[in-house]
Amino acid sequence: MGLHPALVVDDDAATQQRLARLLASHAGADSTIAFASSVDEALQQLSQSYPALALVDIGLPGASGIELVAWLHEQRPQTLTVVVSAYGDAATVVKALQAGAVGYLLKERDDEELDLALRSIQHGGAPIDPSVARHILALVVNKAADAPDAAPNADAALTPRETEILQLVERGMGNRDIAEHTGLSRHTIEGYTKAIYRKLAVRSRTAAIFEARSRGLLC
Amino acid sequence: MLAALLLGTCMATAAVAQDTRRDVLTLVNADAVQASTTSTAPPTEGWQPVSLMDYWDQRWPQHDGVVWYRLRWHQDDNTAPIGLLVSYACMAQAVYVNGSLVYADESLTEPLSRSWIRPHYFLVDKPLLRQGDNEIWIRVSGIAAYQPGLGEVSIGPPRTVQALYREALFWRYGLHLFSQAIDAVFCGLFLILWLLRRKDTAFGWYALTSLISLCYNANFIADSTWPFASTDAWQSFILAAYVANASVYCVFLLRFCERRWRRTEYALLTVALLQIVWAIASPHTAGVYRGAGFVVGSIINLAATMWFIGYAVRGHRRDHRVLAACLVIPCAAGVHDFLALFGITHSDNYLLALTAPLSLIGMGFALAFRFAAAMRRVEGFNAELRYEVEEATAKLRATLSREHQLSLSHTRTNERLNLVRDIHDGFGGSLLNTITVLEQSPHSEEQQHAVAALKELRDDLRLVIDTSAHDTETDLLGLLAPLRHRWSNRLEIAGMDSRWTLAGIEGTRPPPGHALDLLRFLQEALTNVIKHSAASHVEIRVECGAEGRLLVGVRDDGRGFEYNDPMLHRGAGLNSLRSRAIRLGGDLRVESRLGRGAWLGLVATVTGWEHRPKNEHAPSQETTAGTTITPA
Repeated sequence: MGLHPALVVDDDAATQQRLARLLASHAGADSTIAFASSVDEALQQLSQSYPALALVDIGLPGASGIELVAWLHEQRPQTLTVVVSAYGDAATVVKALQAGAVGYLLKERDDEELDLALRSIQHGGAPIDPSVARHILALVVNKAADAPDAAPNADAALTPRETEILQLVERGMGNRDIAEHTGLSRHTIEGYTKAIYRKLAVRSRTAAIFEARSRGLLC
Repeated sequence: MLAALLLGTCMATAAVAQDTRRDVLTLVNADAVQASTTSTAPPTEGWQPVSLMDYWDQRWPQHDGVVWYRLRWHQDDNTAPIGLLVSYACMAQAVYVNGSLVYADESLTEPLSRSWIRPHYFLVDKPLLRQGDNEIWIRVSGIAAYQPGLGEVSIGPPRTVQALYREALFWRYGLHLFSQAIDAVFCGLFLILWLLRRKDTAFGWYALTSLISLCYNANFIADSTWPFASTDAWQSFILAAYVANASVYCVFLLRFCERRWRRTEYALLTVALLQIVWAIASPHTAGVYRGAGFVVGSIINLAATMWFIGYAVRGHRRDHRVLAACLVIPCAAGVHDFLALFGITHSDNYLLALTAPLSLIGMGFALAFRFAAAMRRVEGFNAELRYEVEEATAKLRATLSREHQLSLSHTRTNERLNLVRDIHDGFGGSLLNTITVLEQSPHSEEQQHAVAALKELRDDLRLVIDTSAHDTETDLLGLLAPLRHRWSNRLEIAGMDSRWTLAGIEGTRPPPGHALDLLRFLQEALTNVIKHSAASHVEIRVECGAEGRLLVGVRDDGRGFEYNDPMLHRGAGLNSLRSRAIRLGGDLRVESRLGRGAWLGLVATVTGWEHRPKNEHAPSQETTAGTTITPA
């Protein structure tokens, strides 16, 4: 899967440069990378472009990056949306995943680590770390407590295997450890996390529709 | 009290009678003759000797009218007055002493005065009283159907005879009046009770029973037939009241036992109604053939009482038993009255009415019993309620206190989290920016050192944040997870295969300082491995054993080092690791040979570490997240 044309949405010039450098190392020096420093600017750019990859900073000034993620999810389904979080705040990351992001990068990580994550995303994987896993699990537990037999979300419910993998991630296990533990291949495990992210997004869409209905926007 | 009163009266009167009875002359022989209702003087012919007590209906069964009785006695001394007691005359009477009228009832023709209800006493003095032979005429107006006749006549010293008179008056009239009054009071009381509490139908039926028995008992205290125009009407009214009383009494007993036998009740009330209809339609026949009515009423009464006594004996209700005991005597009195009415035994008094106070005691007890039981229930209920309220309050207090503690702990966690986040966003952000900027600028060795140092700072900050952002519920496994994850990635990127062995750390909760030292120890050891070892395999081991034994070790198969190399100890690396080991209560162990890899570890006996099984659904799970997640 190609990583360009790419759109980098970040208000910090140094970070823009860093992300561009990372992307260039993957896609080659001739890759087209567009930059935007706010959500509005990004939307302007997007009116004409269909990027293959969008790196969106969550902590943008003005409108939230998560709204842009949601917009991309609805309007540019072909675009891989990856959020860039400076916070390392798992809750915000999970919100972005719910809005439709397929992965996330933590600014605090070394270039090599981000590089690894990007490579994984490029190959259809979905990196995850313990705090995000824990938040997703908490969400699932809350969900189960709220509506133990909610039929509409049945397709969005996590399978026991998915839950198990999340629990192993939560314990800090790497992909190889999990693979050994479950007898699955490393690639399959990344596929599982991707499926989990998709379910989060499906879930949030269902919720959005419910909310819209309750507010009378839809019939 | 009533019993004491009766007993007292009995003993007093008995004493008087014993002292003086020998002075009293009781006339038991007389002559009787029939006369018309209008006769004003005794006929001269047709006298017959009779003995008192005399009922003329046995001798002249068809005679409704007047019978003159003539009694004679010899008075030795007429200087002192004498007392004259006519114990019984049915219905109305006029009394003549030596031909002079001394007393006459109000009405000597129909409707006849009801003189029989009480004895009569007269004081006779000279000149009416003669020395020698004296003669009394008693003109009795009566109806053959209603036991007409004359009882004994007593003559003697006035005080003595008057005492006898008072005694007889008390038994035959006073007691009836007394009983009637009590009956009226209870009737009113139970009526009010029933009006205020319709559910207790037994009380309503009792009030009705009492009301009807007031009518029936009027027979013993009314000295005229008012408001009825004839003796027949009066008698039929009394009879109807008697039967109705028996029927209503039955219904009352059934209700009192919480029974409802519809058919029986309707049958009983129909009998009562028939008797009333008969009394209204034909007072004369109803009065004359009153025997049938009395038989019916008495049988009903007796059967009901017997049934109730049996019921109470079989059951275990105290109020039922007391009432049953109180009904035994009235039942016997009923039998006595029944026999007296039909002349099977001779008595000038009817006892059933006198026993009313007894049944009233029973009813009073039943009422008080129910009241007491209700109060006990209320009090029990109150106690139970108080207990439950106290229990609920205690539970609530405990819950509130627990919630308070929890919310305090959450507040503290959140405060800490905010602080940590501020540090991360501010200080950490600057640090990251600096690293980014430095990495982008042309590389010099100095800069690379600076970047490495800054990255170590960043990693340490991350550890501080990771250990602070958790609350005390997070176990060592949870605390190690971010570090393990990050360093797995880093080692992988560095081309090193890592293997983690964590034993006994699930559910182990070190104090915050210890956790940070442990993580720092591991992080520094791993930093060294990545920086210097050029290993291909790294083994990380964390073991918590019994009695606080802790083992942390990092083994690599890299180039190793000579422990005695002075260069090794100059930097911060090993010294820092040693100080962390000491702070954990252990010491640093290093094993390495050049080219043979290295083992860096700490062995400690830690104190203050908690070990308890992890609660899967601990509420802290959500709260440590620090931010509220709105579930989709």
